[in-house]
Amino acid sequence: MNEIFIDVDYNQTYKAGQKISGDVFLQSRDPVSQQIVCTLSDGLGSGVKANVLANLTANMAHKLSFSPMHLTKSAKIIMNTLPVCNERKISYSTFTIADIRPNLDKTVTVQLIEYDNPRVLHFSHSAVIDIVAQEIELHREGAFKHEIIRQSTFSMAQGGRLIMFTDGVTQSGMGRSLPLGWRQAGVVEFITNILQKDPHISSRELAELITRKASTLDGLAAKDDITCAVIYVRKPRKTLIVTGPPFTKERDAQLGERMRNFDGKKIVSGGTTAQIVARLFQTKVKVDLSCWSPQVPPASKMAGIDLVTEGMLTLGKVATALENKTSIYAMPDDAVRRFVMLLLDSDHVSFIVGTKINEAHQDPSIPVEIGIRRTIVGRVRQALEQNYLKETVLEYI
Amino acid sequence: MGQHNIMVKICVGTACFVQGGADLLLYEDFLDPSLLRICTIEGTSCLHCCKTDDQQLRAPFVEINGVVHANVTPKRLIELLREAQHA
Ligand code: FES
Repeated sequence: MNEIFIDVDYNQTYKAGQKISGDVFLQSRDPVSQQIVCTLSDGLGSGVKANVLANLTANMAHKLSFSPMHLTKSAKIIMNTLPVCNERKISYSTFTIADIRPNLDKTVTVQLIEYDNPRVLHFSHSAVIDIVAQEIELHREGAFKHEIIRQSTFSMAQGGRLIMFTDGVTQSGMGRSLPLGWRQAGVVEFITNILQKDPHISSRELAELITRKASTLDGLAAKDDITCAVIYVRKPRKTLIVTGPPFTKERDAQLGERMRNFDGKKIVSGGTTAQIVARLFQTKVKVDLSCWSPQVPPASKMAGIDLVTEGMLTLGKVATALENKTSIYAMPDDAVRRFVMLLLDSDHVSFIVGTKINEAHQDPSIPVEIGIRRTIVGRVRQALEQNYLKETVLEYI
Repeated sequence: MGQHNIMVKICVGTACFVQGGADLLLYEDFLDPSLLRICTIEGTSCLHCCKTDDQQLRAPFVEINGVVHANVTPKRLIELLREAQHA
């Protein structure tokens, strides 16, 4: 499993009165090389026309950055391809492209191309770091102004963030509370404060705080589309799921050892398994009658374990919810919902599946149960990988 | 004077839950408030009664003051608790 995780998310507020954004953010991840490409583009004007411009730009930039073509050439192609605005006789759309590749030493290499968006910010923990860029003039025929592209390459380590936004953020509040708008310096100060207070804030939350602040400065009626994207390099959040009693009693201790050494959230699924774990950790399982629904037996509480649930029914429902991408807001507050929430909040999920066959009283239904357990765990893994791009590992004990 | 604290443990293991145990968890809806007041009701994991072949002893199981009862429906639970109350 990778020892770093790159958390990418963004947030957007449309210009007041618009039903579509003139800012477009795209991201994609190559599942094999883990290369990530993010593009943020702001089309001239607002509404549908701006959206088409920005979409075209972002999509082209995105495709081209996976090709070996030189970046300045790509930029020219993009600009030559854009349709020309009827009123202004110019085709114009800003863009930022970040190409991020993980290295073997827990760092990532970033290649950044910036054209006319506010400068991208690079933070290491809560400190802002200068991005040293090379400026390339495009010299495009028929260009209506000097076109300069900023190109930079640098590396980021764990705790590093790239924050990109459109001018809807930096110009927010202009002419209202702030004569010159929020400006780059104001945004930097705001982010620094947040990162000092909450160093592990997720990309989703940080991007949302920034756009929300910008739209507040605009008096909650955004004067332009406001978009912010955050790329955060961090330790992966891990969750361990233990289900089924180990094959032999001797392996119980081994299971305890594995659980104790696991650095992350822990879920135990299955009544008998929970009893074994409680014994290993010398603690008690307490059924939580406040958390159940007619389809899902109650969750339980156990010290040191984040969630204890019943086995088969719960796991089966978790698999179905992940396969159907059911929104957690559409689920009753039961063990399945809590299970799914923990999984969606993690980047890496490990399963330890117990394979004990004969209980003391030789229950003939148990071998069947093991088969079912394997199938359900397989479904959960597949859905996590395919629908939510999570990494998973499985081990039998 | 009847009994003042009746310990009730409703099995929430898989077998019991799917065979009627879920209905018992709605006890607040069908138990009389006077009865509720004198009961301490908890959920418990599998009581290990569900693995016998005895057709008479079917899930769901509920343990009342240490005695396990089989085939407990909401109606039966009310009866059992009344008996315990006056025991
Ligand atoms: S599930 Fe209730 S006794 Fe086993």
